[in-house]
Amino acid sequence: MGSMFGDFPSFDPHNFSQLRPSDPSNPSKMTPATYRPTHNRTLPPPDQVITTEAKNILVRNICQRAEEKLRPKRAASENLIPEHGSKQLRASTSH
Amino acid sequence: MSVWNYVVTAHKPTNVTHSCVGNFTAPQELNLIVAKCTRIEIHLLTPQGLQPMLDVPIYGRIATLELFRSHGEAQDFLFIATERYKFCVLQWDAETSELITRAMGDVSDRIGRPTDNGQIGIIDPDCRLIGLHLYDGLFKVIPFDNKGQLKEAFNIRLEELQVLDIKFLYGCSKPTIVVLYQDNKDARHVKTYEVALKDKDFVEGPWTQNNLDNGADLLIPVPPPLCGVLIIGEETIVYCSANAFKAIPIRPSITKAYGRVDADGSRYLLGDHAGLLHLLVITHEKEKVTGLKIELLGETSIASTISYLDNAVVYIGSSYGDSQLIKLNLQPDAKGSYVEVLERYVNLGPIVDFCIFDLERQGQGQVVTCSGAYKDGSLRIVRNGIGINEQASVELQGIKGMWSLRSSTDDPFDTFLVVSFISETRILAMNLEDELEETEIEGFCSQAQTLFCHDAIYNQLVQVTSSSVRLVSSTTREMRYEWNAPQGYSLNVATANATQVLLATGGGHLVYLEIGDGTLTEVKHAQLEYEISCLDINPIGDNPNYSQLAAVGMWTDISVRIFSLPDLNLITKENLGGEIIPRSVLLCAFEGISYLLCALGDGHLLNFLLNMSTGELTDRKKVSLGTQPITLRTFSSKNTTHVFAASDRPTVIYSSNKKLLYSNVNLKEVSHMCPFNSAAFPDSLAIAKEGELTIGTIDDIQKLHIRSIPLGEHARRICHQEQSRTFAICSLKNQSNAEESEMHFIRLLDDQTFDFISTYPLDTFEYGCSILSCSFSDDTNVYYCVGTAYVLPEENEPTKGRILVFIVEDGKLQLIVEKETKGAVYSLNAFNGKLLAAINQKIQLYKWMLRDDGTRELQSECGHHGHILALYVQTRGDFIVVGDLMKSFSLLIYKHEEGAIEERARDYNANWMSAVEILDDDIYLGAENNFNLFTVRKNSEGATDEERGRLEVVGEYHLGEFVNRFRHGSLVMRLPDSDVGQIPTVIFGTVNGVIGVIASLPHEQYVFLEKLQTNLRRVIKGVGGLNHEQWRSFNNEKKTVDAKNFLDGDLIESFLDLNRIRMDEISKAMSVSVEELCKRVEELTRLH
Repeated sequence: MGSMFGDFPSFDPHNFSQLRPSDPSNPSKMTPATYRPTHNRTLPPPDQVITTEAKNILVRNICQRAEEKLRPKRAASENLIPEHGSKQLRASTSH
Repeated sequence: MSVWNYVVTAHKPTNVTHSCVGNFTAPQELNLIVAKCTRIEIHLLTPQGLQPMLDVPIYGRIATLELFRSHGEAQDFLFIATERYKFCVLQWDAETSELITRAMGDVSDRIGRPTDNGQIGIIDPDCRLIGLHLYDGLFKVIPFDNKGQLKEAFNIRLEELQVLDIKFLYGCSKPTIVVLYQDNKDARHVKTYEVALKDKDFVEGPWTQNNLDNGADLLIPVPPPLCGVLIIGEETIVYCSANAFKAIPIRPSITKAYGRVDADGSRYLLGDHAGLLHLLVITHEKEKVTGLKIELLGETSIASTISYLDNAVVYIGSSYGDSQLIKLNLQPDAKGSYVEVLERYVNLGPIVDFCIFDLERQGQGQVVTCSGAYKDGSLRIVRNGIGINEQASVELQGIKGMWSLRSSTDDPFDTFLVVSFISETRILAMNLEDELEETEIEGFCSQAQTLFCHDAIYNQLVQVTSSSVRLVSSTTREMRYEWNAPQGYSLNVATANATQVLLATGGGHLVYLEIGDGTLTEVKHAQLEYEISCLDINPIGDNPNYSQLAAVGMWTDISVRIFSLPDLNLITKENLGGEIIPRSVLLCAFEGISYLLCALGDGHLLNFLLNMSTGELTDRKKVSLGTQPITLRTFSSKNTTHVFAASDRPTVIYSSNKKLLYSNVNLKEVSHMCPFNSAAFPDSLAIAKEGELTIGTIDDIQKLHIRSIPLGEHARRICHQEQSRTFAICSLKNQSNAEESEMHFIRLLDDQTFDFISTYPLDTFEYGCSILSCSFSDDTNVYYCVGTAYVLPEENEPTKGRILVFIVEDGKLQLIVEKETKGAVYSLNAFNGKLLAAINQKIQLYKWMLRDDGTRELQSECGHHGHILALYVQTRGDFIVVGDLMKSFSLLIYKHEEGAIEERARDYNANWMSAVEILDDDIYLGAENNFNLFTVRKNSEGATDEERGRLEVVGEYHLGEFVNRFRHGSLVMRLPDSDVGQIPTVIFGTVNGVIGVIASLPHEQYVFLEKLQTNLRRVIKGVGGLNHEQWRSFNNEKKTVDAKNFLDGDLIESFLDLNRIRMDEISKAMSVSVEELCKRVEELTRLH
């Protein structure tokens, strides 16, 4: 059994080295100061205010499937990308 | 009371829900971070033990607390998610000692069913994503980019609807979760999924394991090199990975918490429902798992969280008992336990019930709580203020002053107690029998009032009377020197220390003497323009025997002045304003900060920061301590200096975290106090009060005092009976070996010793539900009434219960009457000399009848149906307020003539109530199970029946705590002539161990404080970017609305913690002086 209990990990051998068991009827009374931040860094950088993507799982799934359907086509025709780009261009000029 | 309520915490939550260990405050520092529901505490591991660093209020109930190490970082970040779907990532900035928010967000979904088994928040060990399970069927992913920044979150559909636990697996090339779930046949399985971040979907994981232990409830992921997961069941523990499966049987137990011991994951501490601590070992060879072993280590508090700290020291966080710091010893002790408790941290939670009683009948309530659960159940006696434990007392009228003196300069103890009267001075000393007896110091003038006394260097004593200053040998007790007041002048005020004497005579003369060996030298004289009212030269500089500053209080211009010594040059003059003269000044230092305290004749106290080198006075603050003149004295307790302010409201002034605090002393009126540290009564105080001189020791200097009475069983209801000086409790004890798993009792306890003096065991399956001390019409006896329920395993709701009426005779519970009921008796109230019971759906009134044979019986008079379950009942006059399981409040009225109970009004909202109280005739206070408080108002002036039949919701507030009980009463002694004494209060107790106060304010004060709260919201920021206004908004499944007619006293009182610049900011915005703001807020702190 000795090996089972042996060698409890030690990160810093000094930690707790001077701690003696306290009187069990006398609980610890150390109270830390209460933190009251008044600085401005309680707000994160603007890009770190996280939200959940608005797109519903189903919609996302349909879109993904639609994209997947497109993919083999892309593989078949190598010049699809420029074509795709020109499509967008046309769409924008039609307004 | 009123609709304008102020809610403040008297005792913060102590229920430890989460804990974690890591390098948070510095790369080399190891921290324990503990969550206590709405607060986190940051501790530092040191050679002396756990050192508390910071208590951080969080504007939310903490659902997840995790430390994680982002790529390339030298220290850990803290991830916190709250129950109201907010999260934040915090970083410690060591330079400024501030918590900085790295990221935050809202992770709520508009639709989705909140999980039944609590929220799960986990972080991928390779820091690729944060996973959240908040709604059934959904797994939310917050991905990290390669710089450790968080990206937009997305949901993935999770097929398993009844999830018990989810963890990330270690050592997977793609982030992989393991899900423990229950299927629709109640069988439990685990399944793994890879999270495909790009496709935002799950991919079937490397393995699954079906048909686990029916009680499997907890997953422990095992780090590399072993990897895989441990599945903790009630009868087996299983190790599972893609290529290994090992299982061991265990003694049936429910594992509540685990803590990993080794970084390689080969050993774990497991804590079970009975508080037993086990060590689980994964045996392995060449990184292959070969088996599992489990060993009982010993008993702790029932753990809710376990954190291995360092060097075999472990933190046990508990929700049901006190949290502990334990050491794992290599060898068992005599009882076979490897566990040694090093430290205990008080936890009052869960407070299931409490009562308030006035032990010394002084108008001050003490709260006795039913705290803890199961084997860790206890009663806690919670009392505000500092007690004096009387050691000796003598009757002495007309004391005008007291000083203690030593018989030689280096004697550690005081020998003499000098007591001054209007025309004489008497000396008391300890005799050989350790009794205080009168003695003489021959060199002292005993025929006059002593103005001041002090020990002086060279074994001398100084006595100042109106005509002279005498220097007396403390060994021979003979006079060595006498300095006489100038002809025609008498000394009015005097002060001294070991080497200096400062005197004031009529006409504004200030005379400074220095003490030599057998001589007194007049060093300096100054003429001031007005009479002097008080003096002090307490040395707080480097030299403990010599002061370089003198504080002088003045009549006429009402000022306090600082003079330099020995030259008596005026350095600073501070006008106090007003017309009340300073009666006592004191130079003192707390935690390395120097102060000047100045007490006025009307019970107010001013304090200033004192610059020791320039004598400058800054940061003036004013508090109201009492209504009579105050005398200030320093004293020491446990090697720390405090100040005693003697007045009609004696107060101890002390410093904690560099802030001055004022704690009531639980004595009615003290005219004088001096420390008296004699060999027989070490560390004692001599106190003059109401014609009496008392020697006593003082409690620890802190605001709330908590005494613990461990019961070893779970007390659920408590009631005090004044007449028999007893408490009665309903309790239950878990029998580990007997056939019936638990037994319920009614126990009688002595209200002084808290010993069990009588027990009435309830029947099998019978629970004690309610308890009441009351008397009935036409009967002078006082009874304990107990309501019970037979909780049968096959019944959804109890259909049978009893009302038991006991009388206390010769310290025993005697059953007088027993009445069977058709359901659980959830509540009992004394009502018009009768007994009002809430029995399942019904409110039932019983008459107390005398039978022909002289025995008594409870006879049903009338009742009222129409509740789902009438759980909480309060009455006032003929009105009955019922808190329903799910139908909020209803107001009933008892009609004497008709002998009937009718409904008058109800609140039509669907609130699931947890406690109700009547604030006044028209306003009722409720707490419900979404942690909100609300008030409703009876609308007697309504134009129509419909309007009159509706209770109007007038106040709403999110407390963030589950309230189990409200009681009218006060934790502090009520002074009829103080402002605070006029404010009625209700005390509440919560599951997290919070004791809080709800105070009804006058409208003017409410409006003022509401404005202050609004301004404080702008200055004091929510940690993690969480918003105070949102946090306090009333919130349940149906609605979220801004808080109204409730103020957050915790926020308002934190005004006193602000630095001067911030206070000035608020003062400017409010157009109210800082002094006035401090005074008004300080007054509120005296409510608790």
